[in-house]
Order: sequence, then C-alpha cells, then structure tokens
Amino acid sequence: MPDSVIEVNGLVKRYGHRVAVNGISFSVQEGEIFGLLGPNGAGKTTTISILATLLPLDEGKVSILGYDLVQEADRIKPLIGFVPQELALYPTLSAWDNLAFFGRIYGLRGKLLKERIAAVLELVGLQDRAKDAVRTFSGGMKRRLNIAAGLIHQPRILFLDEPTVGVDPQSRNFIFEHIERLKAEGMTIIYTTHYMEEAERLCDRVAIMDEGRILALDTPKGLIGLLGGGVIHIEVAEENIEDVMHAIRNLPHVRAASSQGRRLKVETNAARPALLELIELCNARDVPILSLEMLEPNLESVFLHLTGKHLRD
Amino acid sequence: MLNQILALAWKDLKIFFKDPGAVALIFLQPFMFILVMSYALAGLFQPGKGQIQLLAVNQDRGIQAAAILQKLDEMEAFKVETTWEGQPLTREMAENLIVKGKRNLALVFPPDFSEVLEQGPGPTLRRTKVLVIVDPTTSSQFIEPVLGTLQGLIERSIYTAMVPKGLDYLFEQLAPQTPLEQREAFKAQAQEAMSGGLLGGEEPVVTLERTVPPGMRVEKYPDTFQQNVPGYTIYGIFWIVTLLAGSVLQEKREGTFRRLLVAPLNQAVMLAGKLLPYYIINLIQLVIMLGASSLLFGMSLGHSPAGLVAVSLAAAAAATGLGVLVAALARTEAQVGGLTVLLLLTMSALGGCFVPRFIMPGWLRTIGLITPHAWALDAYQDLLVRGYGFQEVLPKVGALAAFALAFFSVGVWRFRFE
Repeated sequence: MPDSVIEVNGLVKRYGHRVAVNGISFSVQEGEIFGLLGPNGAGKTTTISILATLLPLDEGKVSILGYDLVQEADRIKPLIGFVPQELALYPTLSAWDNLAFFGRIYGLRGKLLKERIAAVLELVGLQDRAKDAVRTFSGGMKRRLNIAAGLIHQPRILFLDEPTVGVDPQSRNFIFEHIERLKAEGMTIIYTTHYMEEAERLCDRVAIMDEGRILALDTPKGLIGLLGGGVIHIEVAEENIEDVMHAIRNLPHVRAASSQGRRLKVETNAARPALLELIELCNARDVPILSLEMLEPNLESVFLHLTGKHLRD
Repeated sequence: MLNQILALAWKDLKIFFKDPGAVALIFLQPFMFILVMSYALAGLFQPGKGQIQLLAVNQDRGIQAAAILQKLDEMEAFKVETTWEGQPLTREMAENLIVKGKRNLALVFPPDFSEVLEQGPGPTLRRTKVLVIVDPTTSSQFIEPVLGTLQGLIERSIYTAMVPKGLDYLFEQLAPQTPLEQREAFKAQAQEAMSGGLLGGEEPVVTLERTVPPGMRVEKYPDTFQQNVPGYTIYGIFWIVTLLAGSVLQEKREGTFRRLLVAPLNQAVMLAGKLLPYYIINLIQLVIMLGASSLLFGMSLGHSPAGLVAVSLAAAAAATGLGVLVAALARTEAQVGGLTVLLLLTMSALGGCFVPRFIMPGWLRTIGLITPHAWALDAYQDLLVRGYGFQEVLPKVGALAAFALAFFSVGVWRFRFE
C-alpha cells in the first residue's frame, strides 16, 4: 500500500451558521485518482478549495505531502495544481501567453518554461492553437487549456474541480484521456464531480458526499456492491403487506427487503430476474402495483440508495 | 518576487492594450476634455456669486488710497481686507498669504499715492505705481474685472483731486494778449494736466503694475491651457481607478484570482503586480497630456524637470492607490462604476479641477485639502505657472505619497482575498 499524500481528519468549514463541511475524514494515496461525488451544495468544492489552500478551515487537521495545511501552506503551494470550476483564463491573451503567465508565477523561466508550455499544450492537444486568443476557442478547448494551466509547473497533486462542466461528450472523452494519461504518469488527482459516470470511469476510490458529510467511501466497485445486483422500489395498493414482505424475502434473487408504509425497497442479487419474480408474486396474490422503479447497480443508484435523492437534484 | 511582479504587470499591460475601448477612454477622454473645456472657458470666466477677497496694503501717507479702498469695499462684489489676524497688513504679509494660497490678489498703495494725486500742475508731473500682486495661477478673467474697477476708481480720484488744481493753473496761465500759438500750447498742457495724463499723451500719473510674490518665476501670464491642463490632467489620471478596480473584480469573477491564490504568491506581491501596470499607464497618460499640451499649444512646462517627474510619480501613485482601495471596497463591477464616478467627480470638484479653489468659500477650500487632487493640482501649478522648482514642490509630493500609502495600506487591509 503506497503512502498517503493527503490526510484529512475531522475537517469542518462553516459559512456563518451554515456548515458546509461537517467533520469529514479521509486519506488519499499517492498516484490514485480520488473522487468526491455529490450533488451541488454537497461540500465538494469547499473541501477541494480548503485542500488547495484557497479557504481557511475552521476545525480539523489536514496534511498534504507531509506538510500541515495551516502552518505550512507556503510549502504546499508549489507542489499542487488547481483547476477551478470556472474557466480561469485570460480570454484576450493567447493560449501560449496564458500558460507563460502562470508558468512565470510558479517561477519557470526561459527554456524550461518553453518546454513546459509545449508539453502541456501537447498533452491537451492544443499545440496548433498556441498563438490564438483564448476567446476564439470552443468551450471544450477552453476546458482543456484550463487543465493545462494547472499542470504547467508539474505539480505532484492536481485538484480538478468539476472539470467537465458544460463540455460536449467528445471533449469530455478527450479530457478523460488526459486525466488517465496523468494517472499513468503517477500523478495524484483529487477530482470532484456530480457525474457518476466520470467517477466510475476515472476514480480509484470515491467519497460520496451530501450535506457536508461523507456517506460512503470505497472503490466504485465496492460502492456499487452495496446495492448487490440492484435495488427495486415498489409501491403497492395493499395495507397489510406483512405476508407479501415475507414472500418477497424468500424469492430466489432477493437479498433483503424493507418497507415504509406501502413502499417497499427490495435489494437483489440480480435486478432483472428479481423484477420478474416480484411481478409474478404480486399478480399471484392479487396485490395491485402502483409504481415500480428499478435501480441498476451504479453510483447514481448507490447515492439514491444512501440519501433518497438523485445526484442531480 | 520581482519576476512575479513583472509577470503580473506584463500580462495586464498586454490585456490593457488589447482593449481599444479602454485605451481610447483613458488617453482620449481627458485630452478631449482639456481641449473642449479650455476653448469653451476662454473668455467666459465668471468670478462667481461670492465676494472676491482682496488684500490691501495701504502705505499712503494721505487719504486718497483709503478713500479708494472704502469705495471698493462698499461694492457688493469685493471684500477688502486691510488687516490679517488683527494686524495691519504689510506687503510681506500679503505676499506670504498669496504664497501660502490663502489669498490670490493683493493691492499695495505706495506712500506717495495721495501726494501724486493732489499735486498741482507743473512742467513735470510726479508719477507712482499701485502694485497688484497676483498668484499667477489666478485666471485673467478673474483679475481683469478687479483691475478695471480699480483703474476706474483711481481715475475718478485723479479727476477729483487734480482737476481743480488744473483749472487754477489754467486761469493763472491764461491772458488775453497771449498769441494764438502760445494759447494752443497752453490749452494742450492744461488738458493733459486736467486728465492726470490719462488721455494718452503721456504716461498716467498712477499706473497699476501687476507682479507676483517673490520666489515665483513667471515669464508670461498663464494662458487658458496653463490654467486648464493641470486640472483636467489630474481629473483624467484618477480615472485609472475604474480600470484597476474593474480588472481586479473581473479576475475574481472569472476565477483567475482563485488560481493565483493557489500559487506561491504573496498577497502584497499580487496587489503590487496588479497596481504596477496601471501606474505605468498613468505615467504614459501624464507624458501624453503634458507633452501634447506643450508641443501643440506651446504650454510652458516650467523650469524644473525633476519637480515635474516627482509630482507626476507621486500623483500617479495616489491615483493607483485609490484604485486598490476601490477594488477592496467594491464587491461588484457595478459598484466599481458607481463608486468611481462618485469619488472622482466629488474629489475632482473639491480639488479644484473644474473650478479654481480660490473662488470657493474658505470651508470648502479646507475640505478640498483632503483630496489628492488639490495637492497634485497645486503642485503642477507651482511648476507650470508659478515657476517654482523641485524644493518648493517637495512638501506636496510628500502629501501625495502619503495619500498613495494610505490608500494602498487600507486597500490591502480591506481586500478580500477569498
């Protein structure tokens, strides 16, 4: 097991009376892509902003690459890269000028600066547009340059805050490929998103966040495993469902079942056969089905399973 | 650290010059203002509704000067001051008050004023001068009516005092047997004597001599450009506040500010890097304004290049410092716009950029001193109009530097880096 490059313990951040981050703890291993998955307002951006030294924390302890975040932020800053949610670029300057500016801010000069600019432009596939003003770029190209600017000084840890917001599918795939390339080169990446497909595809481990808390933290496979083969939500027009519940629990593809009034939640080993068995059971017992929802085993379903809310609520 | 400042500055200069609208606004707007206002106000100056305060030093051994001063004081437009803080005014005191900017015009009546006016006719007339000591920055449209009124009163006194004596002289000289040629010569002499020399045949017995307090070097009296260029240049350079504060808020809005905050960059360095390009733009602006006025309109730039550089550096520092302060106080770009217009128009008006401060009431003149505009304007007028040198403007340069430091310090203190 590689060493932790980020250790977060009991992190709290408040805005007035509102608690944006509520005592979260986790660690990130070197070279992994660590995802923070949750809906808007879950606390992902606040968390990543604190880790990137942008916001002061109120409580807790954070160390990054062995340095204390509060006491030694100056030592941490040169070692991390940050790609904000916004397109944090100067639109009237060229791609080259933007990268040269951010490079100089990180102390790069002369030949090394030129090499780094060429390298990151090549990485994000914008070498042909180096001299063009950023305002002439498409949304996807701007996003790619936004990432390039965060990489110009070769950080050991890269913080990506929702880097694919507003990006077309083709550009999104392009961005995924860049991130996978960075991971292959050994970079540690903290990645926030509310797109479960991104977390599933890219992340080694994912922390599911809601209302400032981490609800679950595991590999995508492990999190999806919480649902087994999937979950079925079913609402029936029957007041006395004890007998039905007993019968459901004994179905071959059902792992567990619970009820809240006339709403039943059925965890399965395999969702589709279990669905057929459920329908047959209700028909046989003459129990009318009012509504039915099948949650395929994915992170979206895990989030719904954990919070009762959809990721994009 | 220096490289970071230079990188920040170079980036902002590039952005600035890629925005033709901003370039046009910052360079053309004050220049056009100077041109239009200078022509518009040339010859249309009105001294205002308030009384014009005149210092009067009466050295006259007789009663004529006192009588003229009393008549002047009785006029609604003038307030004659013959004492200062309970002491009778001397010429030195009056000159000092003008140098300090407390008053801008003094009249000095000579000891022989009454004797000259009351002299009898003779083959030679005694002559004297009333000194009019003026701050050269004072508009001639303001001075000329004062001089005209004074001239009229003196002429009236001349007629009153000298005509009876002239007539006596005439009667004594006239005799019926006098030949025609002699009579014509006597008539011309009597006419001249009765007018006190005012008819143009000879120099008047009393002349008004315009001068400036000692220490001021004025080769020619200021024209409309010398009077308007410093004021509107100061007005113009402070508009840099809009660009600087707007740029900071734009960086905050677009997220580049957050990106910079993550970088290993000291906060004061970050603000200094933001300030430097606008400081340079301010200096370019000053060079263009003063240079163009000198080259195109022949405006004198004074005798002290070092003084001009020092005042320009300090004035630009105060302007950009105010920009940092506005950027710190304003939360949105709309607030920047509103705050800038409010601050700049008020400060410019109080500082004397639009209306000369000497015609303002005393309390308003005092309030004006809390604006950097007043100090900058006074310093430029010291150099361009009063002919002062580097040493004389140093206190005003110090005041402008103090404004710059105060604006920048409060700005850094109040700046929200989140």
